[in-house]
Amino acid sequence: MTAAVVRRSALAKTKWHLNSYRSDAKPFRLAVKDNIATEEFPTQCASGVLGQHASPFEATIVRQLRARGASVVGKTNMDEFGMGSHSVHSIHGPVRNPLAPAGEEVTAGGSSGGSAVAVAINDADIALGTDTGGSVRLPAAYTGIVGYKPSYGMLSRFGVVPYANSLDTVGLLARDVESIRQLVFDTALYEEHDSSDPTSLSVETRQRCSKAVPPTLPKLSQLTIGIPVEYNIDELDPAIREAWSATASALEAQGARIVPVSLPSTKEALCAYYILAPAEASSNLAKYDGVRYGIRGPEADAAGETLYSEARGAGFGAEVKRRILLGTYSLSSEAMDNYFIQAQKIRRLIQQDFDRVFRLDNPLYEPRQFDLSEMSADTALEDKQGPVQVDFLLSPTAPTYPPKLSDIMKRSSIDAYMNDVLTVPASLAGLPAVSVPVKIEQSHQFPAGLQLIAQYWDDRRLLALADKVMKLMAV
Amino acid sequence: MSRRSVGELSRYLLEGRISQRGCINGRRLSSRTVPVWSSLRPPYALRQLHTHSEPAAATEAAAAPQPAHVPLRKQLKEQAKQAKKLGKKKTKGDSQTVDGWELTVGIEIHAQLNTSRKLFSPAATSFNDEPNSHVALFDVAMPGSQPLFQKETLIPAIRAALALNCEIQPVSRFDRKHYFWWDQPSGYQITQFYEPFAKKGHITLLARDGISTEDGESVTVGIKQVQLEQDTAKTLAQTGNVHWLDFNRVGVPLIEIITEPEIHHPRTAAVLVRKIQLLLNTVDSCVSGMETGGLRADVNVSVRKTDDPSKKLGTRTEIKNLSTIKAVEDAIIAERDRQIRQLEAGGVIAGETRGWTIGSKETRRLRGKEGEVDYRYMPDPDLPPLVIGNDLVQRLQTSLAVLPDTELDKLVSHYGLTPKDALSLITLDNGSRVQYFYRVLALLESKLQAEPDISELPEVKSYSTLAGNWILHELGRLTTYKAGPLASGDLSFTQLGECAQVPEEELSQLLYHLYRKHITGKVAKELLMAVYLGELEGGILEAINSNDLWFKEISQEEYEALAAEAAEGEDKVLEEFADEQKYPQGKLMYLVGKMMRLGPTERIDPAMAEKAMRQWIERFHGR
Repeated sequence: MTAAVVRRSALAKTKWHLNSYRSDAKPFRLAVKDNIATEEFPTQCASGVLGQHASPFEATIVRQLRARGASVVGKTNMDEFGMGSHSVHSIHGPVRNPLAPAGEEVTAGGSSGGSAVAVAINDADIALGTDTGGSVRLPAAYTGIVGYKPSYGMLSRFGVVPYANSLDTVGLLARDVESIRQLVFDTALYEEHDSSDPTSLSVETRQRCSKAVPPTLPKLSQLTIGIPVEYNIDELDPAIREAWSATASALEAQGARIVPVSLPSTKEALCAYYILAPAEASSNLAKYDGVRYGIRGPEADAAGETLYSEARGAGFGAEVKRRILLGTYSLSSEAMDNYFIQAQKIRRLIQQDFDRVFRLDNPLYEPRQFDLSEMSADTALEDKQGPVQVDFLLSPTAPTYPPKLSDIMKRSSIDAYMNDVLTVPASLAGLPAVSVPVKIEQSHQFPAGLQLIAQYWDDRRLLALADKVMKLMAV
Repeated sequence: MSRRSVGELSRYLLEGRISQRGCINGRRLSSRTVPVWSSLRPPYALRQLHTHSEPAAATEAAAAPQPAHVPLRKQLKEQAKQAKKLGKKKTKGDSQTVDGWELTVGIEIHAQLNTSRKLFSPAATSFNDEPNSHVALFDVAMPGSQPLFQKETLIPAIRAALALNCEIQPVSRFDRKHYFWWDQPSGYQITQFYEPFAKKGHITLLARDGISTEDGESVTVGIKQVQLEQDTAKTLAQTGNVHWLDFNRVGVPLIEIITEPEIHHPRTAAVLVRKIQLLLNTVDSCVSGMETGGLRADVNVSVRKTDDPSKKLGTRTEIKNLSTIKAVEDAIIAERDRQIRQLEAGGVIAGETRGWTIGSKETRRLRGKEGEVDYRYMPDPDLPPLVIGNDLVQRLQTSLAVLPDTELDKLVSHYGLTPKDALSLITLDNGSRVQYFYRVLALLESKLQAEPDISELPEVKSYSTLAGNWILHELGRLTTYKAGPLASGDLSFTQLGECAQVPEEELSQLLYHLYRKHITGKVAKELLMAVYLGELEGGILEAINSNDLWFKEISQEEYEALAAEAAEGEDKVLEEFADEQKYPQGKLMYLVGKMMRLGPTERIDPAMAEKAMRQWIERFHGR
């Protein structure tokens, strides 16, 4: 059977290399997160169970970027299977933030921490990461670079080892917005459907979505940018809040209209995320039983005893085991209705919250008439049409500056989950979001990461705005 | 009809010797001791061995649920088993009901769909190909691979659902069912738990299908749902604690058919499985039947006291993985009896999963509720909802093959077959036998039409019953030789109803001459055997001509003379015909038999002889 798989891959290889380079290819160095399959490097997902795994095929996104001039410089460290916010749960050890002062060990964020660092220290021009609940945006914010999570279904996931399929997206990290925008839009990457990925949008849907969003960003004076009030949480570091507010003021000074908006379901987002993502993870990781993938223990798994417990016990790290158990519980017949089903309902509410505040309709759904009674009582009305609608949302990416690794180790896993509170809503709604570094005077040694969120498929304008914000706030 | 021993057959086939009791088909032989077709054989019988064995190796007829003629060895085994059973236990006929108790059964049937690709990968489906030669990345759950629904698998699936009168759902979804087993590389099976693609069907079982007599003329059983799902890998057990895995089968599309718990008799349950198998075959949904591993059944069994009809159903147990139709009936009887024994002894029934081994008398416990797997059903996040357009459903509905019940009715009413024969014809060789019947019949008809002095065709039934009889029984008899040392091989039919061993042209030619009484039945049978063994180089007509096998019937006067001759010295017998009310048919046949022996060999039509003798007796008694 291995032979069959290898034959397939050999065939595929020939095919890929026949049309390898596009005429507009510009050479660049690409770092690839370890959960994205590449042919010449192992694909281990920073996990013991895949310690020996060499993928017989290459992910579509890697192939697409190779055709655009990418040379893969290496695979990057991460949290095991993407589960973590600080890139510390790895068989290779934790990732360290290069911006930290000498002698201090500070988190680079996760789970795509290795990708962020590769870009931050100029080992790569572009890095591929995956963003399930903030795993590209968070390390970008901590390391002072740009992290972009595209609309769900835009970039192919074929060859990406899934953590939670319905949330997973392939994201890009770079030192500036422009190189990401060029790669995704100037080379028409966003138009390419991948028939190997059932969640990759069809060409027709892509065209329909593209028609539903304006092609270019207007002047700032014609834009309304929302400040989601629910994101102003108590845990927010005052300096981050200051960066947020300074950025909003700078945009306002440029003529943009800044308005507060309410996304009332935000409070439930983190809970919903930590039900849904582990549920899918527990299912996805069921394959690592030591038969095809993973390590077999010396003990035979006799019938009647628990099958494969030893193989699974030995291969996975603590955080992965914790999430598998969490997901296994929320899918069990006694908990399904109270957890998994409820979380799915919340997910829908969150997506509707976003649809209500964005001026553009979500091209994936029929336009929906929102009833005032569905909104919270203190929602300010713009006019008789209802509350104000916005083009983009601006928020911090992370509640704090990157903490020290020693502090992270002391914290409970629930505290660690808190870190995702600002990034998870866009993931649940499948919306595009980007984190850009912002520096304010007399500020912290680290830049603050600010997040911009847009309506579905409004990625091109989102990146254009992100570019403006980054340049505006560069010190 | 008595069967020949293997030794006898081998003497006959290898040395051309025959016992005094007559030829192979058990009919009385005339004075000729060597059958006609033996004279057609080339001198060296051994050379024949090679040529004969070839067709046998080339094809193997698919197993039929109820063959009209089972192979000799199997039959002997069966007989021995039956005899043993009769000695020990009451027969199955008595075991359909237990006084004071009501049985309730629901069935889940898993059937392999007839498709060229797997359910979620473009890898080819195969049967007995080199292990692990049809495996896509997704089939082995390669990290980073994704499922790709193969649209064409819908066609046989929808056909099956339509044959079971189901409502096709415009939107259905795929779910993951989690459990760890080595034959399941992803750790879950993709199935349709929450929203199956077909619901609310039904199937009607008739008395002629063989349902338990307690169910009367017919019984209708509801089909709760039909769902699409993946098959698992095949485990090839090796010596020691070693298992090899063949991933060719993993991901092959199955449908699971779930009936309502509306069956109350064991045989009816078995008949339901057989009929569903037949339906799936007819509409081309399913590649193979139970016996070839293409169909498996799980049965849910419960019992309750009949005196309290308002009472809820009893606790049910599930018997998994029944692989033959007989096992369905036997396992249900055994499990019902076990449950009743348990309850009558004051015990309770535990909801559990049980197993059944073919040939055993008891089901055995596999695992209890506490050992039940929580399957943690979850919508598959990679797979979009399955949307089935009404246009597709309509198209498949109009092109759906004629269902067996409709065909059966026609075979009985139009072609005059007995219901039993009609059913055998439809079920044999996965439906190929009946196609062969139509082919032979069409040729026979055209031969009758071609007759120069024909004004109109004879009544269809007069020749269709003859054709039916030969295609079922005489052809069936041919294959009883396969157990012998010559092992001339099975009869095999293509799906279109072509038969390499006995081409339709040859059989229709044979039947035409038989029907028109150009040859006798005995000659026809011998010719059939010669065709089957590939000994007629020039075909039927040439064989009849060159061996002068034409039936040269004696004249009416000669019949009368023969009748008189046979009656001579039989005064006592003749006396018995005096009473017109009680006609002694047996005595008449005795006299006819005498006529046949007295007269010239191969020139007497028994029917004509009987008529002549009858007339002679009437005259004798002055009537």
